[in-house]
Amino acid sequence: MSRYDALIIGAGHNGLVAAAYLAKQGKKVLVLERRAIVGGSVVTESFGDGFTVDSVFTGGNFRPDIIKDLKLPLPTVKEKPALVSLQPDGSHLVLDADPAKAAESIKRFSEKDAARWPEFVRFMNKAAYILDVAYSTIMPRLPKNFNFSEGYGLLELGLELRLAGRRDMLNFIRALPMTAQELVEEYFESEVVKAAIASVAIHGSTLGPMSAGTGYTLIHNWLNRGGLAHVNVGKAGEITSALANAVKSFGGEIRVNAEVASIKIENQIARGVVLANGEEIPANIVLSSADPKHTLLTLVGPRELPPEFVWKVQSIKMRGSVAKVHLLTDGKHGIPEGTLVIAPSIKYLEKAYDAAKYGEISEKPYLEVTTVGNVVSIHFQFAPYTLKKSSWQVESSKVEKLAVDTLSEHFVNLKSSIVNSKTITPQDLEFTYGLTEGDLNHGQLMLDQFLLMRPIPGWSNHKTPIDNLYLCGSGVHGGGGVSGAAGRNVVKALK
Amino acid sequence: MPLNQYDAIIIGGGHNGLVAAAYLARAGRKVVVLERRPIVGGAAVTEEIFPGYKFTEFSYVVSLLRPEIIRDLELPKHGLKILPLPSTFTPMENGDYLAAWDDHDLTRREIYRHSPKDAEAYDEYARVMARAAKAIKPIINLIPPDPTSLHPRDLFNLLKVGQYAASLSEKELYMIAKLATQSSADLLEEWFETDALKGTKAASGIIGTFLGPRSPGTAYVLLHHYMGEIDGAFRAWGFAKNGSGGVSGSIFNAAKALGVEVRVNSAVKQVKVKNGRAVGVVLENGDEIESKVVMSAADPKRTFLQFVEGKYFPDGFVTAIQNFRTRGSSGKVNIALSKLPNFTALPYKGNGADSVLHRGAVSISPSVDYIERAYDDAKYGQISKRPYLDMIFPSMIDPDMAPPGGHVMSCFVQYAPYDLEGGWNDEKRNQLGEAVISTIEQYAPNIRDCIVGMQVISPKDIEAIAGITGGNIFHGELLLHQIFFLRPVPGWADFRTPLKGYYFGASGAHPGGGVMGAAGMLAAKEMLKDGML
Repeated sequence: MSRYDALIIGAGHNGLVAAAYLAKQGKKVLVLERRAIVGGSVVTESFGDGFTVDSVFTGGNFRPDIIKDLKLPLPTVKEKPALVSLQPDGSHLVLDADPAKAAESIKRFSEKDAARWPEFVRFMNKAAYILDVAYSTIMPRLPKNFNFSEGYGLLELGLELRLAGRRDMLNFIRALPMTAQELVEEYFESEVVKAAIASVAIHGSTLGPMSAGTGYTLIHNWLNRGGLAHVNVGKAGEITSALANAVKSFGGEIRVNAEVASIKIENQIARGVVLANGEEIPANIVLSSADPKHTLLTLVGPRELPPEFVWKVQSIKMRGSVAKVHLLTDGKHGIPEGTLVIAPSIKYLEKAYDAAKYGEISEKPYLEVTTVGNVVSIHFQFAPYTLKKSSWQVESSKVEKLAVDTLSEHFVNLKSSIVNSKTITPQDLEFTYGLTEGDLNHGQLMLDQFLLMRPIPGWSNHKTPIDNLYLCGSGVHGGGGVSGAAGRNVVKALK
Repeated sequence: MPLNQYDAIIIGGGHNGLVAAAYLARAGRKVVVLERRPIVGGAAVTEEIFPGYKFTEFSYVVSLLRPEIIRDLELPKHGLKILPLPSTFTPMENGDYLAAWDDHDLTRREIYRHSPKDAEAYDEYARVMARAAKAIKPIINLIPPDPTSLHPRDLFNLLKVGQYAASLSEKELYMIAKLATQSSADLLEEWFETDALKGTKAASGIIGTFLGPRSPGTAYVLLHHYMGEIDGAFRAWGFAKNGSGGVSGSIFNAAKALGVEVRVNSAVKQVKVKNGRAVGVVLENGDEIESKVVMSAADPKRTFLQFVEGKYFPDGFVTAIQNFRTRGSSGKVNIALSKLPNFTALPYKGNGADSVLHRGAVSISPSVDYIERAYDDAKYGQISKRPYLDMIFPSMIDPDMAPPGGHVMSCFVQYAPYDLEGGWNDEKRNQLGEAVISTIEQYAPNIRDCIVGMQVISPKDIEAIAGITGGNIFHGELLLHQIFFLRPVPGWADFRTPLKGYYFGASGAHPGGGVMGAAGMLAAKEMLKDGML
């Protein structure tokens, strides 16, 4: 058997994207997946008869350029659903993808806000575009070890920024460190409208709408979803299975049930991997789409790395605080399809976050609900990975109860319609899906873990202190959410 | 030149206004400073509120005052005398205390008492922070360019910033980037385990902001407080003889000596504009004063929303100023004492004249969570039930601050939100005072027996007395989107304004708050460059 050019650790969307691009170049690649199925956290699983659901990430708006490059048979998103914010008084705000329709609904809460809506959407789309360009650019090491081919990307980015126009560029830069509250307050007066948007900002982050830097996460999530609401709900798995097929069609191999125990290193150079069953697989280079902490501290191990580097990796903030509660119903749940949120006010969201700060589960959580047919999927925040007073063995049922009770206040028939349920705690996210500390984004999306500082300062260009070992997961620049940018950028970085 | 005609009018006799005036006069210009109050100093004043007891009412310590200003204006010659604050004591909930000294080894030994691990980390931490502060300091004297502008001046300033960045090592560059974006809690948790140590250090990251220690961006504020120095001693904090009034007093004397005219009780109503240029001001009493240029040392909101009609500004500018964050989050409780309160963590003998604890600062910051919870109250519009306190006893450093036997105590308190639920009134003011006293009482049970008189200053009072909109001690929070080329608003950070001949040089401009004087100095230098005077 001839030697592999590249091994890719993890068959999540980023790992598969990297593998597909390399295979397309004619490289001999092998993807190693710990689980029995591919997809990582972009996966649609069955938890029983008729109980099929996007277990971690809901749907996904995959990068069109990658779809094109790899000729993925994925439908381009035509109609975009609305984000619906449920109010305690039974009314609700419908933020339709069509600005005109959205304005209609906003009118009921504030005429002024309805008038401001189109400008807000215009700015957010522009900001998301700029961020997208940044994500498509490999962040070089500055100022030393600077090589022109890397710097060229930055030059392009600077130009794009400039072309964005003076006003938008400054407002984009300004928006990143702002709190989501400040950002929405510059546009809107209605608490309902402000909170609905702010909920998207804190989605997946262990931050509240009053924390600085949630302006950035709002733009990030807007970019990831292509707006406020999720697309392709219930079809997350299609993305990764399409990618897996692409890998194979280009001659790449994928092995499931193949957990990597460690990366084989000889004098600071990666030589291949060792599987949990002891099997050794040699290769010229190794790409890891696992998160940086797992890759560097477990698969590589501190002994192989400089102490200061190890300390910095240990300091990467993971701190996941999301739990998922999936429900199979008899169909009489009464919940409309689309993306529903329970985020009545900024204070409500901030209070939900307060619990996480002190290692407690939100008694009044922020919920995002996506429904397909009989299956109701609830994104629960905040459920911190580290519980101060209790453990997840004990609390898992509490999260399900809180989620169902909170949602039942709006949909009285929900409880009676439940047939089966599946709760995924932050610990399950770690053990089952390999997300260290249950962090959906392989590292919090915070300004000090952004651009040149993702995953850690000085190592934003996919390289590691170990030669021939590259990072290509969500934990590096370009990552976070369902995009595949990191997986594609790494291939450029290899050149 | 006829009466009431000047080269430059400076609105506001705070330390920045006086510094700017002095620098202009030094360049041979005829300058008048117009102060609303009967005394100069703005938020750097010392007033005798109770007979014999002098309070340094708002700002109370010095460190950030730029050494070049002290040199250029020969402030020591004009009465500036800074007395060092040798220590910070943090009484702990378990009855023990944590002390920090101006001597590294003493501090290290003290930390060792609580955690050998932290003592070891402290060496490296101190090195890293000192390096970061040294590395970031040059930014104070840079003129922030508009990165989107192609104007030669901006390109030149951009080049200067580039040169500066290139002068930094990779390590320093990343260190600054990290510090600028991190939360002070995360920064400290990377280093230390002792709660009182983390709490006390994290506290300087929230001063003057409306954020909690766990919010990103607070590490920058922490760094801002590291940029000070006294006689070249890095990060040293001191107390000015006769309080902060002593600082502005010395700048006032220097300005006088340079021929600056200072008019108190002269509130400015409006800036006079003739064919698109600022040509003077109209006072509240109707008097008109003419000048070639006008500089405002008031806060951004009054500078751009009150003194000048919006029609003179491009659209978007006024909105941007309205969006400028000036949420006051801190108050001040100044107390006249018959004797020193005795802290159970380190009781004094006799009358406490020789007490070490009272010679320095006393910080109520037992843990990061303590401060975070104080913030939780405030963000929902309440006064912190258990606030963060930074206390000093000016009379222990400068006996002239209190009558013989008596003492004065200055308590900086956070959080006291400007937008208090139900609004500020005497009852709420008492509530703030009570929150402070009962907090101190936990650590110094006899505090109530010592009190002769008490002055409670809420953010509303800061606004009313010192004239700072929103009562924010920095004229506007030091948030990442409100510093450098974004301060006060994007595109107008170089001390010029859209109105020709109208300049802005106060804490609301680069490089921001604290008794620093940099904004006034830089503004004056930019004014002289434009050749309008």
